[in-house]
Amino acid sequence: MPTVLRVAWLNFAFWVLFSIVTAGFIVGGFICACVHALCVRDRRKTLRLVRRTISYYGAATLRCGWPMVRVRYVDHAPGDTPPFVFVANHRTTSDAYVMGCLPCEAVQVVNIWPFRIPFLGRIARLAGYLSVREMPMEDFLRRGAELLSQGVSVITFPEGTRSGSRRMGQFHGSAFRLAIHAGARIAPLAISGNEHIPRRGSLWLHPGKITIDKLPALDAAQYQTLGAYKLKTRVREVIQQQLDRMEEGKA
Amino acid sequence: MTESELIRAVNEVLTDSFEIAPERLSPQARIFADLGLDSLDVVDLAASLQKKFGVSIRDNDRLHSIQTMQDLTDYMIALRVGK
Repeated sequence: MPTVLRVAWLNFAFWVLFSIVTAGFIVGGFICACVHALCVRDRRKTLRLVRRTISYYGAATLRCGWPMVRVRYVDHAPGDTPPFVFVANHRTTSDAYVMGCLPCEAVQVVNIWPFRIPFLGRIARLAGYLSVREMPMEDFLRRGAELLSQGVSVITFPEGTRSGSRRMGQFHGSAFRLAIHAGARIAPLAISGNEHIPRRGSLWLHPGKITIDKLPALDAAQYQTLGAYKLKTRVREVIQQQLDRMEEGKA
Repeated sequence: MTESELIRAVNEVLTDSFEIAPERLSPQARIFADLGLDSLDVVDLAASLQKKFGVSIRDNDRLHSIQTMQDLTDYMIALRVGK
């Protein structure tokens, strides 16, 4: 079969499977969460279940793209234990799903529009995802610190929007202010290979391999003398260096 | 303080407080897009400028309209003239 037709077929198969998985997640997840909440009557445990289910959903959607899209997660510091403030570069929409690879309970810091997605936005809100642009900074810091103190990691994309290319945008400081405020460890994530999966403004998935490298976390003691700007600059440099290594095939 | 001395002093604040390399601090450099400051960094910058120049920076509308290093210099000149 010609390559274009094969990719078209795989895209079709992906979107069919994606729709089935998403519908299953919404219905099945809702029923499981309700049953769990009624039986266990422990809000914290139910929230953990919801967050882990979201992660499994993310991981499952990535598998829908196989063999066209392959995903590899590399933990460069497996001894580091959560919670973290994860800081990742952001090239495309699939980043939010790719976070399903992280083996820990986590919430994402999102822009306004993800909360407006039917059903999924409501589930994200219920799971405690943080819409940084819709809340005062004080509330963001308080709720973020609360989550971290409960052992929940906070995933951030400090570029604020998808870059759509290999070029990394400037970082906003909110994630770093949260880490400083909570004394949390910062785990940089370098995500490579997904800039066309899908391309910004498109639903068409290009074949490729997505690699997520989790780098050694920075302890609060390592950055406590830095302000938010210096800290974000350092972390951005760490991610950029790792991306350069990955894209030169050295990592 | 002459204008060039003031520019040097403003640049020193950005170099010392934010570790921004002096060669990036051209008059055309955009505070947000090129230097990577966000709105909260601007608040930190205002605090550092207040300390350095002994002026009170309270004109939030004017402060938030600053886009480039040239705007920042003009703002500081206006503050010092009005002091």
